[in-house]
Amino acid sequence: MDHANGSTSSQAPSQNEQGEEASTFRLKFCTVCASNQNRSMEGHLRLAQANFPVISFGTGSLVRLPGPTISQPNVYKFNETSYDSIYRELEAKDPRLYRANGLLNMLGRNRIIKWGPERWQDWQIGMPRLKHEKDKGSEGMEGGVADVVITCEERCWDAVIENLLDRGSPLNRPVHVINIDIKDNHEEASVGGGAIVDLANSLNKVAVEERDKIGAAAFDSGSAVGRSGFDERVPDVLAEWQERWPNLPATWTLAWF
Amino acid sequence: MAAPGKALTVGEQIQQLNNARKMVLENPAYYDKIVKGILPIIGPSSPIELRRWGAEFLAESLATPVLSSRDKENLTVAILDTLQLLVEGPNDDVLVFKSSVMAAASAYPIALRWIIHNSYHKESWEAMTAIKAKILQIWDTAPTPVRICCIKFVQRVILAQTASNGMEQKINGLDVSLAMIPPNHPLLDPRLLEAEAAGLLDRMLAVLQDNSSDALLVDATLNTLAILIRTRPSTSNRILNTVLGFNPLKLANSPLTPKTKVLIKSMEKTTRILLLHLHKRDPNNPMAGRIQQHIERLSRSRNEIFDDANRKRALVQPPGADYGEAKRQRTDNSAPQFHARPWVPGPQSLAAVFTLTNTPGLDGFDATQVPNELAAKITVKALATTSPQLLSQAVDAVRFRLRTLYAAAPPVQPPALNPDTQPLGVDEDDDDGYEPDYYVAEDTEQILNKLDSAPPEEPVGQAADASSALAPLGPFKLPPPPLVDPTVAIKVGQLASSRVFGPLPSLEEAAVRKHKAGINRLAASSYDRDSWLTLITRMATRSVAGLEDVSSGIKAEDARSALDRPQMSLSNMIRELLYNYVLEDWRRRIEVAVAWLCEEWYNDQVTKRGQLDAPLHYEKWALRLVDGFLNYITAQDKVLTRFLAEIPELSRALLGRLKSVCGDPTKIQLVLTTLLYLVMMRPPVREIALDTVAAIWLEYEEARPLASKYLIKWRPGFIESQQTGDAASSVMPVAT
Repeated sequence: MDHANGSTSSQAPSQNEQGEEASTFRLKFCTVCASNQNRSMEGHLRLAQANFPVISFGTGSLVRLPGPTISQPNVYKFNETSYDSIYRELEAKDPRLYRANGLLNMLGRNRIIKWGPERWQDWQIGMPRLKHEKDKGSEGMEGGVADVVITCEERCWDAVIENLLDRGSPLNRPVHVINIDIKDNHEEASVGGGAIVDLANSLNKVAVEERDKIGAAAFDSGSAVGRSGFDERVPDVLAEWQERWPNLPATWTLAWF
Repeated sequence: MAAPGKALTVGEQIQQLNNARKMVLENPAYYDKIVKGILPIIGPSSPIELRRWGAEFLAESLATPVLSSRDKENLTVAILDTLQLLVEGPNDDVLVFKSSVMAAASAYPIALRWIIHNSYHKESWEAMTAIKAKILQIWDTAPTPVRICCIKFVQRVILAQTASNGMEQKINGLDVSLAMIPPNHPLLDPRLLEAEAAGLLDRMLAVLQDNSSDALLVDATLNTLAILIRTRPSTSNRILNTVLGFNPLKLANSPLTPKTKVLIKSMEKTTRILLLHLHKRDPNNPMAGRIQQHIERLSRSRNEIFDDANRKRALVQPPGADYGEAKRQRTDNSAPQFHARPWVPGPQSLAAVFTLTNTPGLDGFDATQVPNELAAKITVKALATTSPQLLSQAVDAVRFRLRTLYAAAPPVQPPALNPDTQPLGVDEDDDDGYEPDYYVAEDTEQILNKLDSAPPEEPVGQAADASSALAPLGPFKLPPPPLVDPTVAIKVGQLASSRVFGPLPSLEEAAVRKHKAGINRLAASSYDRDSWLTLITRMATRSVAGLEDVSSGIKAEDARSALDRPQMSLSNMIRELLYNYVLEDWRRRIEVAVAWLCEEWYNDQVTKRGQLDAPLHYEKWALRLVDGFLNYITAQDKVLTRFLAEIPELSRALLGRLKSVCGDPTKIQLVLTTLLYLVMMRPPVREIALDTVAAIWLEYEEARPLASKYLIKWRPGFIESQQTGDAASSVMPVAT
């Protein structure tokens, strides 16, 4: 589960284990990349394995996978094509090529995580997700909302924020949207997946700490002592995380569902 | 189902509640029952876990997209009392309060719409108002996570209490707006609500106006503004101006810690995305230009801040010693020192003699690869900037090398030298026998010449003897130009002349016509169209005045078009073009024609005074112009009057052209009025004008009524003499 430049972050998982014992509270995550295939799915899997409720999306107009040449990508529709059918199609086309470039391996992994790639823009935020029981990380996501959205590329972050502005935030629910720049290849996705889990653990630890402060916030009386909250501590967590992962530049904002 | 909770532990109760929630998620029809069922359990006196769960569930239920607005109205009305209790309760838990405010934000527009249609139910509105008052009260003092939810609540209040442009989605009460409230509503006063919304907007924007560095509040605010700007026009300008005035990079003035970097990046990016979004959705907004500028400025500043940070880190790397040395060099180098590469005695390549640089890489550079123009440019620039001291040091260094070379190899050289170079005194090879300056200068030149063809490896000794080949170069002659066929020359000449007219369409009319400049004015003192035309007319009339071939000039009188003739002078070409230019739009260019004819007339007078037999142009071109106009003239064209009044000389032939126009009865009045004007205003031509009128009277029946009127006044007795039938002789000369 640990990863390449994880020497600096080796403390995070152990802290998490302690946290797990202390509380069962889990932040709900959503990972986003362009095609909901490589980076977001790596993050999805790793977060699910770390027992976080998680869903994932792509922000592209279509699912694009490399083809025999750079000008002939394999293109599929979001929400209508399953990972399994893509797997079988590519395997029939050129098993050697798609095994050698890692696509079949990736699709093989994806098809055991969930049914198929989903598009962010088509996601009905807040719609109950009860028919996804077999998806990894579906437990806890029944309400169809997330606390933290993690995108894997700046333009995906832009697309997510713009889309949220478009929707007009009807749910009145705050959501932290964090971008982590991860290059779109299998190795970087794997490193990025580890970084995402590290961030999730750090955030969850803070969230649990804040939840445990029962009754400490008598803000009505006007005392400003010890006042903080999960939302407020997100930038601190991110800054510390960025020090541990200097090669994965991050951007954060607080947006609304 | 939650009823038997009394005996259960909190954990078990939560488990039950979770099951109930799952049922609701599976089937929204249960919402009404279950929400109402749990309300007693989650009240302010319940354990904190239950209150948290309850508040969260209320927020979720009121926000869910599964329920229609109508279903939510019932739910909202049922919840309001509990929500009020939660909000006004002990307030000891951030999470309970946060969820309660979220629920209130979703409840507000639904409650407002419900009360619009059910004004009898005062209690609901009172509960909602109380909740609002409480939230507004704690807005500034609550912990930040609650404050951001207060911001969102306020945004929903503003959204509901301002007029909409109908561009929002009709979900979750986003479409509830001021216009829905009837003006005579017993509980709601639209004007008060609108004023409240305006006040709340100001309060909400204060965080941006104060340029807060609390990224959480700033982001939370910025991310609620898009829908207000888009769908509530009365708020747009206020919000946009505030956002454009907000500087998300203010924090950059403080030391850049990892956290401030996160905050700066976050606020900058959130601001930029909001503006980009607005620009994309409404590119025709009157503020679009400002928005775009602001976006660009933000990106630039951010790059500067973060690039700067990178650069600073890079600066640390070079050791301080280098820095100090560089500094010392600068101050010590008042007298530049030239360090030539040390000279190794023995056979050397020609290139090596001139290679002074110490940089090994430059040795391999083949200067012949550089194009000549470039080399020339580089040389000139380099010479201009080289200090004279350095240059003389370099020249001395080369001189020294050459001197040592020649000194070292005198016995080899004499036989190899060409006799042509002997006057240079190379033979007198004793050191004291030659003048270094003269000798070296000449020799350098020769070697340089040689350098063009010799490979750099060639030793100097052989290079020198090849220089003899350069001596007998004769004077260089350009090949003669090809002979020009006269017709080709004329065509090219015409082309050139036509280019004189090129600027006319693009030139501006003189803005203010300076009529008062009078005799002191200069003909072409400004670069406007009038000045250019003056230039053209003078080119036509004066450029070759007095130089024309007399015989061809006489023939030209007959030629219908000067362009047909092979030996056409420059003047005539321009005249022809000028004629065409005037006729293209003669009604408006009549002034040009007048100006031109004035120049022609003047020129003719000058010519008459000098050569007797030189060709005259005025009459010919005046006739052509009149013929040209008359083809197109209509009864309304008063410009004819003006033209004939203004040109300097009128002849019988010219006025005779007018007579022919009278063939068209519609133009008779124009012609006769013109002639009358001449009779009245130009006494010198009165007689010929009256002759023309008389001729018209004689020739055209239709013209008689008008013509006789003028004739009776200006030439009394004429008509009577005609009517007696024997006085035609006085008119005859006019009939051309």
